[in-house]
Amino acid sequence: MESEIKTDNRFVVPIGPQHPALKEPGHFEFDVDGEVVTGASIRLGFVHRGIEKLAEQRNYIQDLYLFERICGICSHIHATAFAVAVEKLAGVVVPPRAQAIRTIVAELERIHSHMLWLGVAAHEGGFDTLFMYSWRDRETVMDLLETIAGNRVNYSANLIGGVKFDIDDSQRDAILRGIDFLDQRARYYLKVVESDETFLGRTRGVGKMTRGEAEILGAVGPTARASGVARDVRLEAPYIGYADYPVVLVLDDRGDLEARFSVRILELFESFRLIREILSRMPKGELSTRVPRRIPEGEIVLRVEAPRGELYYYVKSNGSEMPERVKVRTPSLCNWASVASLAVGHKLADMPMLLAGIDPCFSCNDRLVTLRRQDTAQTMTWEDLRQYGIQYYRGKRVCP
Amino acid sequence: MMDYHFALKQVEEILQPFSSEVRRPQEHQIDFVMGAENLNAAVEALFLAQWGYLSAITCLDHPPVKDENGQESEGSLEVIYHFCRNAAVAGLRVSVPYSHPHVPTICNWIPSATLYERELMELFGVVVDDTPSTERLVTSDDWPEGVYPMRKTFSGFSQESR
Amino acid sequence: MSAMEHERTVDVECPTVWQKALMALKTWARVNSPWVIHFNSGSCNGCDIEILATLTPRYDLERIGVKLQGSPRHADILICTGPVTRQARERLLRTYAQMPEPKFVVAVGSCGLSGGVFHGSYNIVGGIDEVLPVDAYIPGCPPRPEAIIYGVATLLESLKNKQEKG
Repeated sequence: MESEIKTDNRFVVPIGPQHPALKEPGHFEFDVDGEVVTGASIRLGFVHRGIEKLAEQRNYIQDLYLFERICGICSHIHATAFAVAVEKLAGVVVPPRAQAIRTIVAELERIHSHMLWLGVAAHEGGFDTLFMYSWRDRETVMDLLETIAGNRVNYSANLIGGVKFDIDDSQRDAILRGIDFLDQRARYYLKVVESDETFLGRTRGVGKMTRGEAEILGAVGPTARASGVARDVRLEAPYIGYADYPVVLVLDDRGDLEARFSVRILELFESFRLIREILSRMPKGELSTRVPRRIPEGEIVLRVEAPRGELYYYVKSNGSEMPERVKVRTPSLCNWASVASLAVGHKLADMPMLLAGIDPCFSCNDRLVTLRRQDTAQTMTWEDLRQYGIQYYRGKRVCP
Repeated sequence: MMDYHFALKQVEEILQPFSSEVRRPQEHQIDFVMGAENLNAAVEALFLAQWGYLSAITCLDHPPVKDENGQESEGSLEVIYHFCRNAAVAGLRVSVPYSHPHVPTICNWIPSATLYERELMELFGVVVDDTPSTERLVTSDDWPEGVYPMRKTFSGFSQESR
Repeated sequence: MSAMEHERTVDVECPTVWQKALMALKTWARVNSPWVIHFNSGSCNGCDIEILATLTPRYDLERIGVKLQGSPRHADILICTGPVTRQARERLLRTYAQMPEPKFVVAVGSCGLSGGVFHGSYNIVGGIDEVLPVDAYIPGCPPRPEAIIYGVATLLESLKNKQEKG
């Protein structure tokens, strides 16, 4: 019986689209030889919602809310990118206070996203204590976002031409207190990911990507910076408040999972510093400016640094109330390619960690196994496998 | 930020020979209009000069328009390859007619372009010659053949076919 | 042994006192420790991270017996987020079919209720109730973790009441 399963052909392990505990449905297929992965392919489209088409059928103001809902984790940065692009096309100048508030919300979002990721990635590595710790502490930043925006996830801070809400003194104090607490916690996490032996066993030297590979594969964001690619849109092409409040690049040239952990945690410190700096010298003035409903004809490429990396918006206007075309390229799409090629040569058990390392997450196999033999493809459902197992053990008289 | 003028000047020098027209849609952007036959050579030149990285491939649909005499012009698809280096953005614009929507693949130089090329094929019906993978990426498994949702003429399915 | 087989062995003409007691016991167990499975059929992750947040220390659903399950075979409640995309539709149906009876569906978030901002897109079938029978709707974009807990608790309460009446 056993010999039937053993073949020298491809054995494909499908992962997804439904995973326990975690978010995005995507479908990966890993070819394995024993425990070692020999190939990987991606199938997306489970969450393809046709947003680019919808955007062409709605006006700019409706689109702002639509783009905010591309991703619930980095909602603010999507809306910001779209708003800034439209403002540039319309030729309006946004008041500096609005830009500062946008920057603060963007950095708070980065903190929330990186802490979310830290927990999820730790969970994939079987380190649930860290998962619970980082998610508990993440509630602090969720509270801060709720205090200033009124909602925990889709903050809707942006208007085209400014922001909706102000940050007053009591909110400023709350943010500073929260950040002091998180600062202390982040130091602890950094210590954990850099010194915990069992955790290092899962991260050190795993999924190594050299600088050259990262550039060729088109990796972006913290994934690329962990491989020593000095690329951060906040520095290269400063938008909103980043020209007035410059960030410091966090780089690591080790290129493995450990580096991706430490880059993201070090970026937390950079975000804390930036928020403190902005709050200490907030420009005074208006929160928004008028923008015409009809946007003059033109086109623009706008890039921003989302928590996961470079986010690209292309907006083409035709002089009407609705955009002619909006193209969005999210950072995860770039990083998918790096996983597909990094996976080869690693053990199957490292896959969840590798996938989590770029930030989208997968953890469990689908309940369907396909055996591909020379001429026929045999599909066994979970029920077939169960029956097969029962028959097998009956034959062995292990259980009655 | 600081030296994007320099980067724009550089890329203009590199791509000038391949393009028929140079446009400046925004201060930090420069667009090169070129034929599909020049695309590979242009990408190769950028690659060899190590100028920037491919940020995304965008496609625009220009449906047929009728002029005053009732003459219908042919619709075309415009594929834009955006390369970025610091704040500078260079766009390589290739227009192909509906009747022959073929562009060459650029995966020989930039392997990560395969995802964008798959998207082009699915959503716009651009045929990318010699691209390594033609599998579906975003549309569903039961998606009808020959229906390209991002074309302007596509306005959704009727209620029954959902 | 799966719950379905369990049902089969007990299923005889008229329920005896013991069988009634067994049913009551099962409802008691189900209400006090429901296992849930989460399916994202096209959501933006906003609802999903809030569902995940309900499991973490601030809200900690496990203290009241709710456990997030990986396999539909072990789950009582299917928590769905997001509008249903064409591609996810079949998978959603398959996941639902794999769950043992009795099973319940909770739709979380505005998109799960009606399609939300994505209503009218070519790739969206609609809300969850276009595909599956939904027992509880939790509105919000996204709903707060408290709202999710309240929604699930209300569903469980209604089960208990049904059992007492029936």
